[in-house]
Amino acid sequence: MTFHRLLLAGAALLLAPLGVITLVQARSAGHQPDAKHGAVIVAQGTAAGAPPCAQCHAFNGVSDASGAFPRLAGQSAYYLAGQLRDFASGVRASAIMSPIAKALSPDDIADVTAYFAGVNAPFLPLKAADPALIKRGEELAKIGSAERRIQNCDNCHGPDGSGEPPVIPYLAGQYAHYIAFTLQMWRQGFRKNSPDAMGVIANKLDDQEIATVAAYYQQVQSTIEMVESQGKD
Amino acid sequence: MAQRLPAVDAVTIGVGLTGSLAAFEMVQSGQKVVGLERGAPRDTVPDFQSPAIHDELRFSIRKAMMQDNVKVAVTFRNNFNETALPIRRWASFLPGQGLGGSFVHWNGQSFRAQVADFVLRSHVIQRYGQKFLDACGPELTIQDWGVTYDELEPYYDRFEYLCGVSGKAGNIKGQIQAGGNPFEAPRSREYPNPPLKETYFGAIFRKGAESLGYHPYPQPSSNLSRPYTNPLGIKLEQCVFCGFCERYACEHYAKASPQTIILPVLVKNPNYELRTSCEVLRINLDSTGKKATGVTYVDGAGREFEQPAEIVFITAFPLNNVRTLLLSGIGKPYDPRSGEGVVGRNYSYQTTGGPTVFMDESININPFMSSGAPGTMIDDFSGDNFDHSNMNPPFIGGQYVGSIMTGGRPIEFHPTPPGTPPWGLEWKRAVARHYNHAILIQQHGTSMSSRLNYLDLDPTYKDAWGQPLLRMTFDFPENDIRMSQYIADKVVEIGRAMGGKIVVRGGTKRPYTTTVYQSTHNCGGAVMGDDPKTSAVNRYMQCWDVPNVFSLGGSSFPQNITYNYTITIGALTYWALDAIKNKYLKSPGPLVQA
Repeated sequence: MTFHRLLLAGAALLLAPLGVITLVQARSAGHQPDAKHGAVIVAQGTAAGAPPCAQCHAFNGVSDASGAFPRLAGQSAYYLAGQLRDFASGVRASAIMSPIAKALSPDDIADVTAYFAGVNAPFLPLKAADPALIKRGEELAKIGSAERRIQNCDNCHGPDGSGEPPVIPYLAGQYAHYIAFTLQMWRQGFRKNSPDAMGVIANKLDDQEIATVAAYYQQVQSTIEMVESQGKD
Repeated sequence: MAQRLPAVDAVTIGVGLTGSLAAFEMVQSGQKVVGLERGAPRDTVPDFQSPAIHDELRFSIRKAMMQDNVKVAVTFRNNFNETALPIRRWASFLPGQGLGGSFVHWNGQSFRAQVADFVLRSHVIQRYGQKFLDACGPELTIQDWGVTYDELEPYYDRFEYLCGVSGKAGNIKGQIQAGGNPFEAPRSREYPNPPLKETYFGAIFRKGAESLGYHPYPQPSSNLSRPYTNPLGIKLEQCVFCGFCERYACEHYAKASPQTIILPVLVKNPNYELRTSCEVLRINLDSTGKKATGVTYVDGAGREFEQPAEIVFITAFPLNNVRTLLLSGIGKPYDPRSGEGVVGRNYSYQTTGGPTVFMDESININPFMSSGAPGTMIDDFSGDNFDHSNMNPPFIGGQYVGSIMTGGRPIEFHPTPPGTPPWGLEWKRAVARHYNHAILIQQHGTSMSSRLNYLDLDPTYKDAWGQPLLRMTFDFPENDIRMSQYIADKVVEIGRAMGGKIVVRGGTKRPYTTTVYQSTHNCGGAVMGDDPKTSAVNRYMQCWDVPNVFSLGGSSFPQNITYNYTITIGALTYWALDAIKNKYLKSPGPLVQA
């Protein structure tokens, strides 16, 4: 277990009983997120017409090695639910996700995101990227760029991109293709959520920088796997 | 033997707020400027990045950004019958060190002073009479500044736009604005950015204060509410409420500091040269003693240099401005027994400390989600906003009151109600019970100058270069205690109106101690004014005795105002630099005839 992970785990243990991690999500009054029902939606879709999430994201939320679809396994439910609402409202534009999100009720969203948040899934074996590219991405991710006035990504996305749940998603182990694509969506104005934070930062990055951070975060998975396997005993 | 360097037009002793601002104005006028900073160079990337910057032990407890007091401490005593001892652990106040100075680890609380503040003595006598003032304490030595709010207003405006202050105007050209502070001095236009989002603790305070008829408003903040490009073309970003602001530097280009609002442009100017790790030992004077010839400093390798300059700007932390004057023999040192002399005179501080309001367990405050200036405030008790004429015992001055929680960091923040054991199982239980359900309220206000409080050179203790340390002789005047205690009662009522189950009363007490954090708004000691008998510098912060030396910053305050002083220091610096650019450079010499 890395030092930072230990710190995070410690902080979570400390704060959880204090009622600190209680963020209200938009769902019907009294509805407790039901991960089992979420799993049913992921496998079978809904009667209202939402297709099974598993078609693209796989039942365990790891999607596939193409990187066209993001990894959802273990992602914060709060974050995922917010994205689904933004897809539905069009704040985050996607021809694929918008109709699906619209077909999900608030309770469905709570259930399906609770399911994905709770999945502990492996990382797919992927072709290794150019080590020089990864190295440059790591510099940007952990240090930033003084001359380009770009702060590091880990400030908000947590040490080694492990996420700052519930609000900020993990990047560690996320597919490079997806990271690069979504940064381009911000730059081109199709993704309008977080305009004053990620919108600004995405616009500071050039194509080359996007490629490096995407390549870097994709391969930051061994630490997480190790931590999670250690966490079980 | 010091090596003599090629002469330049101006040198700044310190590169923080005033040092970078003064240098920028000078290089704009084509002047060649050298900035001498005793600390290390540092910038947002790589020095202020997370996770290293979120190290509470290093920065809050071990004070990693503060003046190295192994090398240069300050000695302290409460009154001149005691023997002062060096402060070896900063606690009560935290002078910064390193490029950018204290303007890096500040919180971004961005207030203007009030109209009456600049003419305090005249104002008090006019409203309450000399007799009333005498009854507040015959030792008080409050005085007018020699500059008025109206004169400073354009410079306040300019500095706020440089910083990108986020707030809501309460008074634009005399028109009261809904949602702002109705007591604020008239401003010429709205803040450059809208206020930060109100926190939950702020919303609870607002409700409580409003129910008692007070006038809550959002605290003006230099943690920005949205991306902003300042007039120098430098881009700042939006505060992410990370909860590590005071005592830390911003990782996110979201807090105004020299690194985020001035230096990126200044260091590229060919007329500017920055030298870090350079400790200035003294300002050198010519044989007449009325003209500075430059400064002598020691670099990081221990080599001594003489840097000749036409103008010397003392732009250090206020305490160090005063020490530099004393070490250089500029101006007559103050003697508390005779009341004569001006350097070291009218050192003053800030009254702080407010109640803790313990709420029900159903109220989740989440204090860790915060910025450096997230407060919801009232100015009903600030300065002279309330009638003092019937106060018994009498006092002058006041405090702002607000819920300002700048984070819920684990080492420092564990509020427990009175009666809780200070350690052990019961203490742990109490921390767990109250951590997320307690609201701190800040009382923050004036501190009047007194003939008993002053700064001079310590007769015993020396720094790493063999020079005497600065000696601080200070205790709060009785006036300040009366004021703070009066307001403490009012604030307890607010705490109850907020729904507090337990409200622990605040308020300042004597004696002043340096072992508990109170405020880094140390001020005075080289105060500005119209009379060389009672001020060390004139209204442009120009030394009366050596007109090519300017002592810029909080050391020029004749007594302290209600508010955090950074924005006023910025305005005063712009004000002085305009006079230097437009008058002094054309005809060097005193800008005001003594």
